[in-house]
Amino acid sequence: MSSLGYFFKESLQGFTRNLSTALGSIVTIFLSLMIIGVFMVGAVMIDSMVSSVEDEVSITAYVADDADQASIDALSATIAGYEGVASVGFTTKDEALEAFSQTASSDILESLDGVNPLPASIDVELSDPQLVEQIAAQIEANETFRAICDNPADPAESLKYGQETVGKLFQLTKYVRYIAVALIGLLVFIALVFINNTIRLAIMARRKEIAIMRLVGASNGFIRGPFLMEGALHAILGAGLAVGALQLMRMYAIPRVASALPFLAFDVSGTAYLMIYGILVGAGLVLGLLGSAFAMRRYLKV
Amino acid sequence: MTNDASTNGLARTGRHGRAGAHSRRAQMTTQLSQALPTLEVDEMPSQLGSPVITFDHVTKVYPAQPNKPALNDVSLQIYAGEFLFLVGHSGSGKSTFIRLLTREIKPTSGKIYVADEDLSAMKNWRVPYLRRNIGCVFQDFKLLPNKTVYENVAFALQVIGKNKHVIKTQVPEVLRLVGLADKLNKYPDQLSGGEQQRVSIARAIVNRPPLLICDEPTGNLDPQTSRGIMDLLERINRTGTTVLIATHDREMVDNMRRRVIALDRGRLMRDQDRGVYGSDV
Repeated sequence: MSSLGYFFKESLQGFTRNLSTALGSIVTIFLSLMIIGVFMVGAVMIDSMVSSVEDEVSITAYVADDADQASIDALSATIAGYEGVASVGFTTKDEALEAFSQTASSDILESLDGVNPLPASIDVELSDPQLVEQIAAQIEANETFRAICDNPADPAESLKYGQETVGKLFQLTKYVRYIAVALIGLLVFIALVFINNTIRLAIMARRKEIAIMRLVGASNGFIRGPFLMEGALHAILGAGLAVGALQLMRMYAIPRVASALPFLAFDVSGTAYLMIYGILVGAGLVLGLLGSAFAMRRYLKV
Repeated sequence: MTNDASTNGLARTGRHGRAGAHSRRAQMTTQLSQALPTLEVDEMPSQLGSPVITFDHVTKVYPAQPNKPALNDVSLQIYAGEFLFLVGHSGSGKSTFIRLLTREIKPTSGKIYVADEDLSAMKNWRVPYLRRNIGCVFQDFKLLPNKTVYENVAFALQVIGKNKHVIKTQVPEVLRLVGLADKLNKYPDQLSGGEQQRVSIARAIVNRPPLLICDEPTGNLDPQTSRGIMDLLERINRTGTTVLIATHDREMVDNMRRRVIALDRGRLMRDQDRGVYGSDV
């Protein structure tokens, strides 16, 4: 235990000895961990958005303005008979406009000049979201639907369902993930280089002491201890800053964005945040220890 | 002179055989010494037991100089409690000899035993524990300038994990032994060269190693101060510590009349009890 105290004292000394490089490694660790953290929070948000969209899956089948009521009723009855369908409703053109007017601004409504461009629709609620593709295909293949759908040239165009939103979200997350991995890889590399350099300087500064330690038979672990401790200390400081920054973002930035974009789900649970913070500190420790291990391999002969 | 040296060396190996060492190697050298005329040395140091250091046909070739071995087929034994000099020109292999002993380098061929342990087979992690049994003193003292005398000596115990109580009792004691009891809180640059060397000797023996190696301990000191350092090393030797001194100091070697091992261009030229620096080196 007393040697742990010794390592700590020595690593603190290394900190003050090379303040600028120590700050450099701390800041790079901080930046890389913060960006990793932001991406992790983002991933959790997208996950919850995807599942909220999936939960509310319904199929909207738009019908042409001139469709006769008998065909619509027949189609509704047929759809209600499909497996996995919970209920089938109908939205008239007027109802659609009214629903639209609640979300859109009055300017757009005025520019419509009393003409209603919105189609009427059959709304299909599903009891099993997994079957959404299959049911959509069934509706699309239905002869009656093909006859009365809003866009007879391409009946699929007249069908809207949540899966499309889910697909788009997945598409988005895929690209975001590529960018994140590349960026994090680069930052981790830079952080390792910085830690490596800081520890190298610390080793150089203590060359004489190391020579004497080797001379009098200090064990390899004892000689390496202070440098591992120094790397770990930088990493923990960097991780602490990153956690602090993320916490600030959670408290101030996210509520603002969420109020600006009310239709997206921004709520990430507290346990998810705690888990992310834990992962960041762990990743930081690994980074710091790895960086000092590299430096010791190259510059510290024991 | 050379002939005398070789017979003397053989007498030494023969003596080892009689000492009842168990290894086959010792038996072989006994047979060898019986086959050759031996010269009995009438006055032998009394504290002989089994050898603490054995060099068995040790050759060291550095990669930079493949045709010029730094040590060439050196075999010798050093016994517990001996006080001996290692003499030779620069480049004769003295430093290589010492670095082999502390396992900083490994021999190219041959075996080295320290306290019955084969250094070439020793695992790297055990090397620090070997070094705890070997005190080292150098020409340039190797003291830490930002630590006091006390702290410099305490450092040696601290880094091998000794507790505070041991440090508090052993450090003042060893500083009293080397005659620096009143300079505990001085920094190295406030001391004379001789005093600094005493600090470095104190650091080397504070852990009470059975073997003390000194590489040119008086190289930077005037003759009178050197005499004082040698007196101190003799005193340490009298407590049972084996002392090996590599030196250029002809006068000192001639005055002390102790065992002398002479190296020349990597070869063991002479191994002589109560020897002198000699003209062959």
